[in-house]
Amino acid sequence: MPPVGVDEWVARVEERREQRAGLLGQALAAWDRIAPVWRLVLFAALVASVPFVTDSDFIIRVGVNTLLLAMLALGLNIVVGWAGLLDLGYIAFYGFGAYTYALLASDQIDVHLASWLAIVCVVVACALLGFLLGLPSRRLIGDYLAIVTLFFGQVFVEVVTNLDRVTLPGKDEPVDITGGPNGIAGVDPIQLFGFEFLTPTDYFYLSLVVLVILIGGLYLIDNSRTGRAWRAIREDPLAAGLMTMPVKRLKLMAFAFGAAVAGLAGAIFAALQIGVFPRNFETPFLILIYAAVILGGAGSIKGMLAGAAVVGISFELLREPDEASWIFYGGVLLALVLTVRPWRRLAAVLAGVVVLGLALHAVVGGLWPDAVAGSPRADWALSSAIDNWLLLPDDPKTIGNWAFVVLVVAVVWLSQAGRRARLLALVPLVYLGAFVWENRLMLDPSVTRQLMLGALLIVVMILRPAGLFGAKRIEVA
Amino acid sequence: MDFFVQQLVNGLTLGSVYALLALGYSIVYGILKLLNFAHGEVYMMGAFMGYFTLVALGGAASPAVPVALVLVLMFLVAGLSAGVLGVAIERFAYRPLRDAPRIAPLITALGMSFFLQSTALLLFSADVRNMDTSELISPSTGIHVGPLDISLVRILVILSAALLMVALARFVAQTKLGKAMRAVAYDREAAEMMGIDVDRTIVAAFFIGSVLAGAAGVMVGLVFDRVWHLMGFTAGLKAFTAAVVGGIGNIPGAMLGGLLIGLAEAFTAGYISTTFQNLIVFGILIVVMLVRPTGLLGSPAIEKV
Amino acid sequence: MEPLLELSGVRKSFGGLEVIGQLDLTVREREVVSLIGPNGAGKTTVFNLITGVYEPDAGSIRLDGRELVGLPPHRVTTMGIARTFQTLRLFLNMSVQENVTAATYGRTRARVWQSVLRTPRARREEREVSELADEVFAFFGDRLAGYRRDQPAYSLSYANRRRLEIARALATRPRLLLLDEPAAGMNPHETGEVTELIGRLRDERGLTILVIEHDMHVVEGISDRVVALDHGVKVAEGSFDHCARAPAVVEAYLGRVEDAA
Repeated sequence: MPPVGVDEWVARVEERREQRAGLLGQALAAWDRIAPVWRLVLFAALVASVPFVTDSDFIIRVGVNTLLLAMLALGLNIVVGWAGLLDLGYIAFYGFGAYTYALLASDQIDVHLASWLAIVCVVVACALLGFLLGLPSRRLIGDYLAIVTLFFGQVFVEVVTNLDRVTLPGKDEPVDITGGPNGIAGVDPIQLFGFEFLTPTDYFYLSLVVLVILIGGLYLIDNSRTGRAWRAIREDPLAAGLMTMPVKRLKLMAFAFGAAVAGLAGAIFAALQIGVFPRNFETPFLILIYAAVILGGAGSIKGMLAGAAVVGISFELLREPDEASWIFYGGVLLALVLTVRPWRRLAAVLAGVVVLGLALHAVVGGLWPDAVAGSPRADWALSSAIDNWLLLPDDPKTIGNWAFVVLVVAVVWLSQAGRRARLLALVPLVYLGAFVWENRLMLDPSVTRQLMLGALLIVVMILRPAGLFGAKRIEVA
Repeated sequence: MDFFVQQLVNGLTLGSVYALLALGYSIVYGILKLLNFAHGEVYMMGAFMGYFTLVALGGAASPAVPVALVLVLMFLVAGLSAGVLGVAIERFAYRPLRDAPRIAPLITALGMSFFLQSTALLLFSADVRNMDTSELISPSTGIHVGPLDISLVRILVILSAALLMVALARFVAQTKLGKAMRAVAYDREAAEMMGIDVDRTIVAAFFIGSVLAGAAGVMVGLVFDRVWHLMGFTAGLKAFTAAVVGGIGNIPGAMLGGLLIGLAEAFTAGYISTTFQNLIVFGILIVVMLVRPTGLLGSPAIEKV
Repeated sequence: MEPLLELSGVRKSFGGLEVIGQLDLTVREREVVSLIGPNGAGKTTVFNLITGVYEPDAGSIRLDGRELVGLPPHRVTTMGIARTFQTLRLFLNMSVQENVTAATYGRTRARVWQSVLRTPRARREEREVSELADEVFAFFGDRLAGYRRDQPAYSLSYANRRRLEIARALATRPRLLLLDEPAAGMNPHETGEVTELIGRLRDERGLTILVIEHDMHVVEGISDRVVALDHGVKVAEGSFDHCARAPAVVEAYLGRVEDAA
């Protein structure tokens, strides 16, 4: 990262070096040379071809969810990436949009608006709610905003869960508005231009079209006066105000736009799921959206798409033990390849891991046969190899818990240790990680997903705060 | 009248716990300007540690050692382990980001909170644990005069919380480390140049805040008899609200805010409805933000240009 | 002639400490006025009061007869006052070009939907904005030209950052320019350039300029009039020579003779 105030030629050299970083850098540079419109067309064509390649319902569903996640990431990026406001209640707008659509298009209060009208209502209502939430935070300074919005997200779920027995003035019977914990079922499918969207594939294309329009719109906004002003208030709100930008209004606008995008995604989600439930809009999903934004690199449109793709797809796949195994071992290997250099050292580490496992398996298995009595949870290419390499106790839960604690402590400890200690500890650490994975994490896939999301946020922020595609940023206090 | 007094006692108990938690937020915020979302999870872990200590000592029904010793050990183990956890979090997650853009540590804190919550779910499962306090300390002991009906546990909680708060206030006002903490809060760079070990001071702030959170966790476990993995998140939010309401970074403010939020919640539950307690607290937060963004005891900040 | 900027009876205190007391100040059209005084005299506070960052406790501030007190900063700037900062406050992670184009926000009107649909109006405005940027950059010769315009502002050298701050201020199309220590941290050669630049700003662009400066060579070189402040009070006003010799100014900078004895 070029330091602040370097001479110009140094900066130029650094810029050039930055562009050349590895294959990924070259690919990115090549991608950037294509005109924006064609990039978008290429992207759309690529995604649109997915249903032609596969007819697996699972993959299509993962695809729709990922497209929705991409929309949400793009919407959140307006608020967090451009305007620099930490909105931790973003999920509530998604929920509000979904619930509004569900109310306007179901038997719940017996209203069945035409889809286009319902969607317009949803978007307007969400934008308004975003605006209202932005208002009381007055000066909208980072942390206060974070706490108000986070609280708002919690209260939203709570209110929605409890609005099933509301006593309205003038009526004796309590009224059920949101269906409480059971949510609203039987939401109408979306119907546009005489076409009724019914199957997940229909929604896949609908989401793709909406996403492409959104990308185009956001690209144009980013390069307009509003986009520049948003980024300026993120850089320095006071200077922005003194350069003719109405800071408060721009912040509220960012809030409203982000909320509107979330609402739109929510409406599609409600129609896709044919129902809405409070638990769809709880904190874990908020973390998922943030993980996509952070991994992609806040501030960059293509970063949002990449982040949503990586996070959306991998976290869906973590539900399936076989795919999860690929992701875990592949991820560990990738991390080692990327961080351990030169390759001789990498080979030594990998060999060490294998030898350590085989030795432990032989010694411990010989002493206590129970310690190897279990079998791998997943049935995939490496299952039998793992069975001969890893200690798999008969009843792994308790020992797995302890191993997890030891693993976390070891990682924290090593983050404080010197280079040498880290390298030495790498071999046992990788083995311990695999042990924890097979003996504990695979038993509770849903908890594992949550753990990994939390860990992802922490690790990305520490190691690469700019994410995969975000521009490196310089901050001067 | 009876009912009113009962709610008052409820509110004070709850308020003491929020105040202890709010102090942790306030100290850390004062020094690092960091909203430590993981603080609520530290409190939750403390509650679990207290619970496991109780179980290890034979459980509430048949403790192996005298009841007073059981309580002391519970507080000690919970406080210390929470303190160590807080320090570990600071060193691992927050220290590398100390000079990063403001938004980065906030996101890390959010991730940390979520990670700890999931860790508790993984290790301790989603079951709600009961400390069975009524078997440890009979609910009939305590003050029962006329309308007043306060159990011993509540008295213990309110008193020990008050004691901890007074101790903290004196610590910050009088000891060398306390003064260092105030100096770092005021101007970190200047403090560093005056020979104050900033890292050590920040570690101390995290340790103290986390110890208080651990103690608060045990208190909640004793009074409300419910220890589970989600107890930290909402409590943390409300405690932070308390800190904001009182004036963030301000120790008496955190206590005042904690008591206020506790009372508001108890009276809402008592007189209006238990379903919308959080909504009321959220309402208070919004009103304070509108009327007095710096909190009740906070001083207005002058923006330097 | 009606003055362009007129402060009368302006007061400001922070928590009991009076920073500006009863200040009267006028700046006439196309005049270059220097504000001098020791550190802590309240010079930057005057800028903050004029631009609406702070609101005065009493008094009035008028631009061309129109009251500014109570207006938020962006309104003040849109009315024709632009400033630079003593401690540079550029949009560091935006490109040099964008630093300038962002400052045209108040001069453009295109709504978001117009930008998205690329209506003729939005396109015309974008064209005007980029022409304005060309014009502003041209004013600085080759200093901010060419490849530099697409680089992030943080890659600029210190002197170029100061130039970019002025360029950004110019992009708001001000009538009155407030420069807060434009020569701070510059070498003698660059300082000379600043002196020349300020002259050109008035002569070629017809700007009125109020400048805070510590470098007395610069002050001497540019000022039509000098105003000296000490502890928020005006202690001298007039030509450079007059102010430089005024006992109150000497005292403010060096202390009383009796004190020194």
